[in-house]
Order: sequence, then C-alpha cells, then structure tokens
Amino acid sequence: MAVALQMRKPPMGGIGKRVAYYPGCSLEGAARAYDVSTRIVAKELGLELDYLEDYNCCGAMETKNVTFWGTMLLNARNMSLAKKQGHSVIVAPCNGCSFSLQRAEYFLETDKKVFERINSLLKEGGVDPLTEIPHTYHILEWFYHEAGPEKVKERTKKPLKGLKVANYYGCLYTRPHFYARTYSHGGTEEQERPRMRETADDDEHPYYMEALLEAAGATNVEFEPMHTQCCGGPHSLSDEQVSEKFVMMILQTAKRNGADIIATECPLCHASLEMYRHRLMMKGVPDVDVPAAYFTQLLGIAFGYGAGDVKLKDNLSDPIPVLKRLGLV
Amino acid sequence: MAIHERSLVDPERVLRKERLVIDGIDVSGDWNLIILPRVIEDYDLSFLDEVLEQPEGKTILQCYQCSYCTASCPVHNYWDERYNPRHFIHLARLGLIDELQKRADVMWRCVSCHKCTHRCPKGVLVEEVLKAILRVMAKRGIIEEYPSKKFDKFFLESVYEYGRIEDGELLFGWIEKQGYQVVKDPILKKPIPFMGGVPEWLKQLAVKPIKSMNIGFLILNAKHMLFHPRTKNWNRFKQVLRKVMEEEGVFTH
Repeated sequence: MAVALQMRKPPMGGIGKRVAYYPGCSLEGAARAYDVSTRIVAKELGLELDYLEDYNCCGAMETKNVTFWGTMLLNARNMSLAKKQGHSVIVAPCNGCSFSLQRAEYFLETDKKVFERINSLLKEGGVDPLTEIPHTYHILEWFYHEAGPEKVKERTKKPLKGLKVANYYGCLYTRPHFYARTYSHGGTEEQERPRMRETADDDEHPYYMEALLEAAGATNVEFEPMHTQCCGGPHSLSDEQVSEKFVMMILQTAKRNGADIIATECPLCHASLEMYRHRLMMKGVPDVDVPAAYFTQLLGIAFGYGAGDVKLKDNLSDPIPVLKRLGLV
Repeated sequence: MAIHERSLVDPERVLRKERLVIDGIDVSGDWNLIILPRVIEDYDLSFLDEVLEQPEGKTILQCYQCSYCTASCPVHNYWDERYNPRHFIHLARLGLIDELQKRADVMWRCVSCHKCTHRCPKGVLVEEVLKAILRVMAKRGIIEEYPSKKFDKFFLESVYEYGRIEDGELLFGWIEKQGYQVVKDPILKKPIPFMGGVPEWLKQLAVKPIKSMNIGFLILNAKHMLFHPRTKNWNRFKQVLRKVMEEEGVFTH
C-alpha cells in the first residue's frame, strides 16, 4: 500500500471559522474551567468548535521521551479522526497537545518512511489511514486570526479596567519553529524560516494574548523574558526542585513588575504555577502571591459573564479577590 | 586564571600551586594553574551509530558546536552548570562513554522547553537528540533509572491502558510511587487525597475545593476517579500500540 505523499507548502491565509476541537485530557478533568470558558469565548466571537469525538491522549512529553513510534501512532489516530469528521484543521487549547500534533505533522510530512509505516499501522488498528495531513493550530492563534482584537473590543461589555496582567505563554506555544512554524515578525524576508506560516505568532516575543486582553480593556505589564520561560513542564512532578525554582522566578517577576494576575493559555503551565505557588507560599517565599487565570476566563468576564460561568472557583490560586477589588465580578 | 566552562575540566586534572618555579624562574601568580593533558583511548564509535538509528537522533551530525543551545538552556543557566547540551552531543559523537556516564546524574534534567532546538542555527533537533542519547545510554545500562523516566513510564502505562489520562489518578499514583502512604477507601480502592502521609501542601490543595464549596469541581473529579475516562474502540488499537512498543523494546509488562 502506498499513499502518495504530497509535500505541501506551509498553510497560508486564514484558518477557518469552523474547526475540529481537540480538548485533550486535562480540559475534561482538572482544567474544566479552561474548556468551559473557551467554548464561551468561541461562541461570543462567532467561531464554531466541532468536538473531536472519541479522541485519545496526545502522549504529551512523557510518551515522546519513551517511544517514538507509539507517540506518532497516538497522534496519527487523532488526525485520522479529524479527517473523518471532515476537517483539515485541528485546534488545541493546550501547549502540549498542539506541540504533539504539530510534531507528528512534521515527521509525517518530512519523512516518507514514517508516513507509510504509520498508515499501515493505522489500518491494522482499525482506523482510516491518512491521505492528507491536517494542520494543527493553538487556540490563541485561531482566536487572534479569525476574530482578532477588533471583534473582542466590539464584544466587550465590561472592560477589564485597571487589571494589570502578566501574559504567560509557556514554552511550546512558540517553540520550536520546526513544529510550531513561528517566525520573527520583525525579521526581513530573507530571515524567515522555510517552514514558517503566515498566521503564526512571533517566536521570541509573542504578543497575541496581550493584544486580545488589551482589546478587552486590560493593562499588560512587562513580562519578558519570563513570558516564555519554562515552568518545569513534564518534570513538574518528577523533578520538584527545578520546577519550584522556575515557578518562583516566574511568579516573582510578575509580582515585581506590578501584575495583579497571570494570564495562562496551557492547562499544564496553569496547574504547575498554581501548585508551586501554593507550596512556595507555605514556605514563606516573598512576592509569589499572584493568582493565575486562563486568558479565556478573563475574556469571558470582559464579555459580561459572571465568575460562576467561567468557573473562576476552579482556580486553586483563587483570582476572585483581585477581580472583586476592581469590581469585575 | 579563569577557565571558560570550568565544569568540563575534571578537578583531578587541574593543578594549582601557590609558588611555582620553573628552571629557576619564579612564575607564581598568573601562571600558577596548569591543566594536565588528557589522552583519549577508550572511545566507542558504535554509540554514535546507535544514536543515529533512533528516528530523532538523525540530526546529531549537523551540530557544529556553537553552544547556542547551552547558552539558551534554563537548566544550565538557572540550575546546574554541569548540564551542558552542546557537550553531551560532543561526547556522544566522540563515543566517550565514560565521560557521559560521569554526567549521568544531571543528564536527565532536561525540562523539554525546546529553546535549544528552536534557536539552533544548524537545524539540529537538540532536545530530541539528547533524548535519543539518553535512550541509548539506558539501553546500554550506563545510566540508572532516573525519576523522570519512572514518571514517563507511569504516564505511558495510563495512556496505554485507557487511551486517556486522568489528572488526579496520575498525581496520587505518582505520590504513592514516591513512597508516601496514600489512604484508599475500602470498597473501590481509590485514593482519598487529604488523608494518610500525603505531603502537607498537597493535602491543603486537595481540601481547597471543599472549603470553597466548589461542588461541581468535586463531583467531576470524583466521577473521573471512579469511572476512568477512556477512549472507545481502544482495544484493537491497543494491540498495535503494544506491537510497536515491543519492537522498540520499551514495553515492560
């Protein structure tokens, strides 16, 4: 069996208003607030999420470290399901999930052997083989390009006035450019990388979240270079010392730059920040008491939804007092 | 005299003398430090071949040792100077297995932030290459079981079994694996988060939703703990997954 692999150019132009939505395991468990608020924001912005039925775990970083073929297979199954539902675009709200799918995309596109082997394995497992490889985007990129700051401004009923936000992007939203296809927006034509795509964020200085939250009335504080500093990621449980130090650096930078709240866009980063924030506060480390909230939760509040609608209570770091002080909830 | 990347020089090969006289001339002061030369005899080039066999390890030969990866690495910069991705690639290419083994205690510390891969001017997938090196080391038995690998396997088992993972189960399963005492309810054998020898910070964190009367969150998590979320039609796919992983030699069941 040999399906002809078309070496395609990177996707250019728009992403589409209706996409396959791959929530990932976290969003249906502890990060339910992110799922609920994402749906609210998408509805408000006039975008449609088509839930990817019967998906499986993307394997995250942990599976990738142990098995190459297993991880490819897990992601190829999800891609095949998206194709079956008639989508050529998958949107994932989690940095880990979007990374895993984009990584699979990279290897499937660049290595013919991988593509053929994976296809025959998919057939064996009772899943439709891939004829075309769907592209994966992070949900932030999708919101920015298909709705944009203007639409957010238009929809905002209760501007987040006076709220000072530190935008935390985490690692895998912009990195590595091989998979995420980000590029330097300030660079010249020659500096652009061969696999970059038009809609991708700036690689070293991402700004999409800042732009959306600013349109909703919030003030962004200076947060470089901690906005893409690692939170400990896949080691947040297995290597506590390193993770604790990284999170401490992130939280202290945010606090010392005057942030009221940290806006996150990945359930793993969010959980890691909240968990270690709690631990650091118990240890009595200074300047770490900044709460975290998903950027969709903040947008939801700006769109006129209440704290209960966006499940602010689910955040273990409890951002409600901060928002109450400003009269937002 | 300052030595750039001091961590790369073995302490036993560094000689420092308070007073040094050579041929009757006093050279104490600036020239009092000597690094003894090293003769490499025990290299093993088959190590590189094994790295190249791994699908992720193929780009290792493109490296031209500019050290951009090391300069970007947060583990190197904020945690341990001895963690040096450029040097690990260098050692793997030379086949200096003894030297790699000396660094086995820090080699697993990579947090997969991909700064190295992103910034590499030569297109080396640095993070993936390092993981390929680690895997070959583990295969040859020159690195012992390290915490992140234990966690990776634990995670993989959950994915393999159900097709999906469950946060709470993962967290408390891992805590139990670390040697903490986790109390389980007698009927369903599920962990009770705020009892037993679970670390204090985690107990407080588990009690938080109860204190804030967040019933929805509790019901959802309890439901997930009782009925593990699983992918439908997983069994047939599982067999293929098993076959593939057995070929790679990672399956432990």
